[in-house]
Amino acid sequence: MPQYILRISHEHLTFRIPSLLSISQVFKFPIKIISQNKYRGLLIVELEKEEHVHSILDRHTLVLSASELLAEGSSYDDLHNDLRQHLEILDPYKQASFKFTLEGSGHRVVEARITDIVESFDYTALEGPIRMKNPEVEFVVFEDYELEVANTTEARFARDGKFTRVYFGRRIGMGKARLLAASHEVKHRAYYGNTSMEAHMAFLMAGQTLPAPGKIIYDPFVGTGSMLYASAHWGAYVFGSDIDGRQIKGKMKEKEGKPGIFRAAEQYGLSDLLLDCLTYDVTKSPMRRGGWIDAIITDPPYGVRAGAKRQGRKEGAKKALKTEPVLMPDGRYSHEMPGYQPPSRPYELANLTLDLVQLARYLLVPGGRLVFFLPTVTEDYQEIDVPVVEGMRELKVDQGSVQDFGKWGRRLITMEKTAQDDGVPPKFEDHEEFDINNQPEHLPGHHGFRERYATGFRSRSKSGNPSPSTTTPASPPTLEPVVTVDSTNKV
Amino acid sequence: MVRLITHNMLACHVKNCTKDNFPLAFSEVELVIRPAPENLDFIQRFLPKLDWSALVDTARSLGDETLPEQMPEQWSEDQLKALHHVLMEMHVEEGNMTCRGCGHVYPISNGIPNMLLAEHEVGR
Repeated sequence: MPQYILRISHEHLTFRIPSLLSISQVFKFPIKIISQNKYRGLLIVELEKEEHVHSILDRHTLVLSASELLAEGSSYDDLHNDLRQHLEILDPYKQASFKFTLEGSGHRVVEARITDIVESFDYTALEGPIRMKNPEVEFVVFEDYELEVANTTEARFARDGKFTRVYFGRRIGMGKARLLAASHEVKHRAYYGNTSMEAHMAFLMAGQTLPAPGKIIYDPFVGTGSMLYASAHWGAYVFGSDIDGRQIKGKMKEKEGKPGIFRAAEQYGLSDLLLDCLTYDVTKSPMRRGGWIDAIITDPPYGVRAGAKRQGRKEGAKKALKTEPVLMPDGRYSHEMPGYQPPSRPYELANLTLDLVQLARYLLVPGGRLVFFLPTVTEDYQEIDVPVVEGMRELKVDQGSVQDFGKWGRRLITMEKTAQDDGVPPKFEDHEEFDINNQPEHLPGHHGFRERYATGFRSRSKSGNPSPSTTTPASPPTLEPVVTVDSTNKV
Repeated sequence: MVRLITHNMLACHVKNCTKDNFPLAFSEVELVIRPAPENLDFIQRFLPKLDWSALVDTARSLGDETLPEQMPEQWSEDQLKALHHVLMEMHVEEGNMTCRGCGHVYPISNGIPNMLLAEHEVGR
């Protein structure tokens, strides 16, 4: 089977393989990763057909280019020996106009060497004319270097040519999805908020839902809609809900104004695919039935910029939850007055996460996916922190996809519904295993995340408390706006 | 917005409201028709998820009489197109959705339904 060289960005390193596997799932083609080390700048994969390479170029936001692998070696001699063994693979291109390109991965190659390199391929006896602009075939020589810092000209020249492996290929195309992140950049969006997900990450997340025309994708914490745009871009129908309708609408200044999410969807030409946006608390959801949604995608509010809320009143709050409507002096009920806002209470993250997985178990179709970000305190994270729910299984490659910010990180969790039935809707009651009063043996690394973020992630053992959330003052500390969040992926 | 495909999935969820809580009845409706590209495969696949009589009643209450009383066993292309129109192209922009059981009114404004419960309807 033919093998292909994918040149891949080092950005978001732990997201590249899951993205690749998801694309192969959407288009239903087998893919085999040939490279021993999956995390270098060049990745060798085996695919049945060239059209599958085009699917990858269309969708994978980290792939820079793809080429058919023709020969390889640890040195040029090695590579030429390899190519001489099967020179006939060049037959289709014998007469074609062509050019040679030299590219380095992990190093900026000295392009002047290209002349010598092209000459070393003399024996291939290509007869077509060399054409630097729009040739029929572009041959590429990839030199793969160890990643090292060489920030002076001398250092660059000193290490030029000292690659670990060299590949020879025929270019199939350049990555098209790379441009998507730029075209969806948040700052140019018609509507966004301070919790809007960075466009590139939204696309990486959306890719995990296997988006395609005729699927329905739902975001239960839709906020300003970032996940919807990326999912709908691939043709899926999308809808969202949020307890805070102001997030969906934004400020509607003009009389004829439209809600913010609708405006952004219009900007991207996705209005037809945006089914609806609704205001409700996902724990008090009006969904009539389960088993009809193809994927759930969400970035739950975890407290760095906004904390999660649910309807109700906090236990031990000054006022108890009302069980009867309140009649106003003018004879109307308080909840029927314009601008009535029902009270809400904090929604602790460990409870939210477990509820989310149970909700997915209920709402998804068999084989449907749940994709969400789980923020965890690095020190306390354990693999068992990802909720285990019968009928749902986690899909992950190696240690999973992580964006590491030092003391905390966020993990992109992808789960698949293995159950065939809808089951029962979740109860959304506070889960006893996360109740501090029951003195649980282990609390997930995301438990009480908001408070722990605000207190600089004091160690649970040192503070003598299993989680600072037990000692939360009546009003939680106000968060300073986050100024420096390092969004680069350290590995 | 509030397309009928969405409406068909929504029931009243006030605490202890389990009788006649679906479908929610539209009133004072501002209806907008927005043509949308057809995906009849999708419509066909979605059929088993629909509550047909609720959909027919709701469509008729909004003045669309194209759907047959009983769900057809065999679908013609024209029938699927009519269903596409009802599910995907009819948008309720303003109005109310009222529970026929408990009487809770869910208002729709600017195409967004407010389905939050009042404090006394939440329960624990």
